[in-house]
Amino acid sequence: MVRLVFWRLARTGLAVWALASAVFLLSHRDASAALLLAAPTAFDLGATHTAATPAQQLAAQRAVQQRLGLDRPLFYLSRNANPRIGRVQWHWNGRRNQYHRWAAGLLHGDWGTSFRTGQAVPARLRAALAYTLPLTGAAAVLAVLAALALAQRLAAAPWWQQPLRVLLTAVHALPLFVVALALLLVFANPEVVAWFPAYGLDQSPEVEASAWGHLATYLLHLVLPVAALTLTAMPELALQLDAALARELRTGYATTARAKGLAEPAVIRHHALRNALLPTIAQVTELLPALVAGAVVVEVVFALPGMGRLLAEAAAARDYPVLVGGVLLTGAARLLALLLADLLYFWADPRIRWQS
Amino acid sequence: MLIFSCTSNPNKSDSIRIRWVHDPETLDPMLLPNQAAFDANNLLNISLLQADVLTKELAPALAEALPAIQLVGDSLMKLGYRIKPAAAWDTGRPVLASDVEFTLKLMFCPGLSNEVARNQYRFIRAVLADARDPRRFALVCQGQAIEYQKASGEFFVLSEAALDPRGQLRRFALADLQNRPAAAPPDSALQALARRYVAATTGHISSQLPGCGPYRLVAWEKDRYLTFQRKPHWWADQLRPVPFVLQARPRLLRYVIIPDAATATLALRRGDLDVYPQMPAHEFARLQASPAARASLSFYSTPSYDVVTAGFNTRHPALADAATRRALSRCFDAAGLLRATQLGAGQRSTGVISPADSLNYNDSLALLPFDPPGAAWLLRQAGWQRAGQADSGWFRSAGLHGGRQQLRLVLRYRADESLFATIALQFQATAAGIGIPVILQPTESGAFTMALRTGDFDMYVRVLKGNPFMFNFTPVLHSSSVGISNSTGFSTPASDRLIEAITTADTRVHRARLLRQFQALMQQEAPLVPLFFLPNRIAADRRLRGLHASSLKPGYSAATLERGPSSSPTP
Amino acid sequence: MAILTFAPLSWAQKLALLWLGLVVLAAGLAPVLPLPYRPGVPDLAHLAQAPFGPGRHWLGTDPQGRDVLSVLVFGARTAMLLTLPAAVMAGLLGAAAGGAAGYWGNTTRLAAPWWLLGVGSTWWALRLPVPLLGLVVAALGLGLTLATRLYRRPVPAWPVPINAVVMGAATTLDTIPRLVLVVALAASTAVSQPVLLALLTLTSWPYPARLVRAQMLRVRALPFIEAARAAGVPAGQIWLRHALPQALQPLRTTLPLSIAGLLALESTLSFLGIGLPPDVASWGRLLATAREEPTAWWIFLFPSILLIISMLSLNALGRQRRILG
Repeated sequence: MVRLVFWRLARTGLAVWALASAVFLLSHRDASAALLLAAPTAFDLGATHTAATPAQQLAAQRAVQQRLGLDRPLFYLSRNANPRIGRVQWHWNGRRNQYHRWAAGLLHGDWGTSFRTGQAVPARLRAALAYTLPLTGAAAVLAVLAALALAQRLAAAPWWQQPLRVLLTAVHALPLFVVALALLLVFANPEVVAWFPAYGLDQSPEVEASAWGHLATYLLHLVLPVAALTLTAMPELALQLDAALARELRTGYATTARAKGLAEPAVIRHHALRNALLPTIAQVTELLPALVAGAVVVEVVFALPGMGRLLAEAAAARDYPVLVGGVLLTGAARLLALLLADLLYFWADPRIRWQS
Repeated sequence: MLIFSCTSNPNKSDSIRIRWVHDPETLDPMLLPNQAAFDANNLLNISLLQADVLTKELAPALAEALPAIQLVGDSLMKLGYRIKPAAAWDTGRPVLASDVEFTLKLMFCPGLSNEVARNQYRFIRAVLADARDPRRFALVCQGQAIEYQKASGEFFVLSEAALDPRGQLRRFALADLQNRPAAAPPDSALQALARRYVAATTGHISSQLPGCGPYRLVAWEKDRYLTFQRKPHWWADQLRPVPFVLQARPRLLRYVIIPDAATATLALRRGDLDVYPQMPAHEFARLQASPAARASLSFYSTPSYDVVTAGFNTRHPALADAATRRALSRCFDAAGLLRATQLGAGQRSTGVISPADSLNYNDSLALLPFDPPGAAWLLRQAGWQRAGQADSGWFRSAGLHGGRQQLRLVLRYRADESLFATIALQFQATAAGIGIPVILQPTESGAFTMALRTGDFDMYVRVLKGNPFMFNFTPVLHSSSVGISNSTGFSTPASDRLIEAITTADTRVHRARLLRQFQALMQQEAPLVPLFFLPNRIAADRRLRGLHASSLKPGYSAATLERGPSSSPTP
Repeated sequence: MAILTFAPLSWAQKLALLWLGLVVLAAGLAPVLPLPYRPGVPDLAHLAQAPFGPGRHWLGTDPQGRDVLSVLVFGARTAMLLTLPAAVMAGLLGAAAGGAAGYWGNTTRLAAPWWLLGVGSTWWALRLPVPLLGLVVAALGLGLTLATRLYRRPVPAWPVPINAVVMGAATTLDTIPRLVLVVALAASTAVSQPVLLALLTLTSWPYPARLVRAQMLRVRALPFIEAARAAGVPAGQIWLRHALPQALQPLRTTLPLSIAGLLALESTLSFLGIGLPPDVASWGRLLATAREEPTAWWIFLFPSILLIISMLSLNALGRQRRILG
């Protein structure tokens, strides 16, 4: 078992590295856009009173290229299409290339600095994670718990089974931004009810307040975003689990358990649930990378800082070091999630254990 | 219900909260990548001249007066400045000519991200210090343009004592740094200086550059807010009277970052926000119509210098002739679009110069009509022929190279702005009516910039930002900028000559005559179709005084804001 | 043996069928329906107009002045031609890949000559250095294959890591934030309907693949599979006829949900400004424009109702269909 986990971890690490490399190479191929956005040319009227000559513009561009480290070749090998002889040629660049520098830096713990702000990438990621994790973590836990509770109750076929299923499907049909905007416009609107604040995490941080006061303010600000995330994540989990439970309850062993005189809730809890959880495990572990990647829509609507906005803005501004760092982080979380899923499968279904 | 009692109360602090859409990303005074960064630096630093929103003119800030112009020979210009004697850094040291010289040299210090500043201030070739008065100096400029008088004073002056206490940059002359080849061996003093500067601009806020502006940055939570605190003792407080550009009233200014417009409107309604600049037209109209909002908010609308423009890619053979471009520009229903999207505010224009600028605006030109039949007629004049079937479009023979050209257009615009989508849809529908197929390509903003640069479009729609001070069309329409910032690729010898003449015009009247000529030429050639100037809408807490809504960016004056007496909290 | 049998339709299912039929009909007949406005033509006189206002906009207009009713009708067409095929294709692709990965794991083997053929042709196709070498290797592989066919000699076989390849590809696709993928794509090509279809399919197959694989891990341990194996049924046949139908079970509920997810993704793309061009009508983008005009309830309400009813219908049909093994 330990050996197996070790091998999986080793493979996991390799996959993350390959993935980050792929993103690094793919994004840096498009480096001209990053250059353009880092040294904006005057597309506007009268932005500059002295237009630089083309030579000066070129010099400025080269300076930016050098500053951002984009002046070197991208990889050990480069492929140049040579139109003169009409053939593709391969060229060996040696160790003086962007990829080598990035990889070597990463091995020494240097994730690079942001193109836009000049700050170290880990500092930016850490700051964003500090806001993202409580938000998405709370939403994920709530969604999973709610889904478990709802699905178990639904499986017992109460009178509200059908209406609740309809309601869950209806909520699931709505995109996240619709749910978030609806919550905002209902619960933070002075024209309807203004129970919750509309944006941010606290409106007046310089006001002196006790630690409890700060905590209360913080929680109050999180209510609507967490509710929006939970509402959109929960129906899928609940419906899937509900369907799996219904299937399990029709199987032979459930009938046997019932024949032994077990009450329906006990059949569900002790017999059907464990088997029905199998597909749900995939979904739950799926949530883990989403926790790290943040929720850009909710962050935009409720004006919260976080990974989602950081990565979306980095992509828009072609801030590749931040983007690659974010991918590395998300990738690590994703692969960890897969590992977790496999371990949970082992736990949930002995037959798989026996097979491997 | 305990926690509900903690919901914010608008008068808990006396800070004034202003909405920003984005984080300024960096407060490096030489980089200034966006308006937010510029506004923030305006609070922290002072430049020689600063825009006065009351007069819409540049007014002396650090300088005592506008510089005295002295022409030297036929290609040089000397601008004589004197810094206000009261001006001082926080340490009590006076602001001197040496600080100005240091700032200009820093722009050319290798290893810094100062490429934009370099290109902008390259025209200042030397700083001549005055031996008798350390506050007096002259800037020697290459070329003789009346704009230099104002352009020469727009950079933020940095403290030499804080960044280069040992005066190591004094070893270099400004021209040496400007002409320093990229391959020159690295100089340890310059490297150390660059490191200090980078540390000061990217590090923690406690290590920020000390500016001579009225505010200190006390908090910066990325993507959340920036808080600026008024310095208790600031040098300009001694001036009598305090000039408008040096007024700084609010004790605490907080810029909050709210990306979503609907959220920001709610925050404004609830009193969690005091000033909402650049408000979308429909939100603005809706709030104005609501009695509850009218009771607590005031509304301002001023014309801006931003013009919504469509551009043609004149490098494409089908769009290379002015007649075709003129025909297509008649397919824009500018009046209808203005009415529909700006709800009556804003102003149509014949050219890229604002109609509000009565001196330079060419009022003898006629506005472009919305006239699809006329467009079809003009197309025929330009040699196009409608093919036999109804839907197959327009063709013409392509002259020398033979073959047939077809009139098919790809229209690009930035996808994140719905105004452009409305314009594009209107154009597409009208063009389809006269048989021109138009493909719409909403493009992500980074890719859009790239497409403009590489000419990957037939037409585009975008906002062209302008200001009332500078009239230099070289970057946008001159042949030397083709492939860089002249995205239409348009140039003719006549227009090049005119653009050069405008930049070197020696009097305002002469320049105005040239500008009017230029507008007529542009309407004739039609590389750009100016649709209308956007209005600048601000909604603010009713109790705020001193907002001074203006056409100049950012559209209001943050440093003169004051809460009315009715709401001032007990100290 | 697996057959699909239909239980008699309940009234809910009849309603669901009726509704979906209506949507398909509207999608098919959209160009000939007597709508007062075309979907891509803005009515500048009536922007963000409430329903039943002036100008015959029965369901109002959006902030661009497009008629909501015609956007809804033509949006059904887009959904038919884009979202539904994307969901089905993603489901099929995911089922095949995940089913194979779950059933065979990393254990299946392929004879060495086939390997040579594959590697050689890939080498040549990618134009790696000395492309001729690839051709030579491929030819060698082909020759060996033929030779082994003729002489019936046992040749060394190397394992094909199906599981590793499928799961690796799925992980890679899942890990790159979708936004980055889309931005990269939008930067290189224009987003049109076929491109978006490919993009949606490509980014959404890993999820069904995971579900099917998880189920397949369970199914292949079931007694009847063992029995079939013992009876000497070829592996491919067991997989296709017996194991796969069982392993597809979780997809029955997720397929309708994935259609909802794709509609949401399409509208989120519009929200981020990388969606379909504005002259292509879509329910998702109509919803996304609600952001510009939050008080315009009709932009919010009508597409939401359509989405919800369609989802409920798909669900009602998906839930009751029995697959009997």
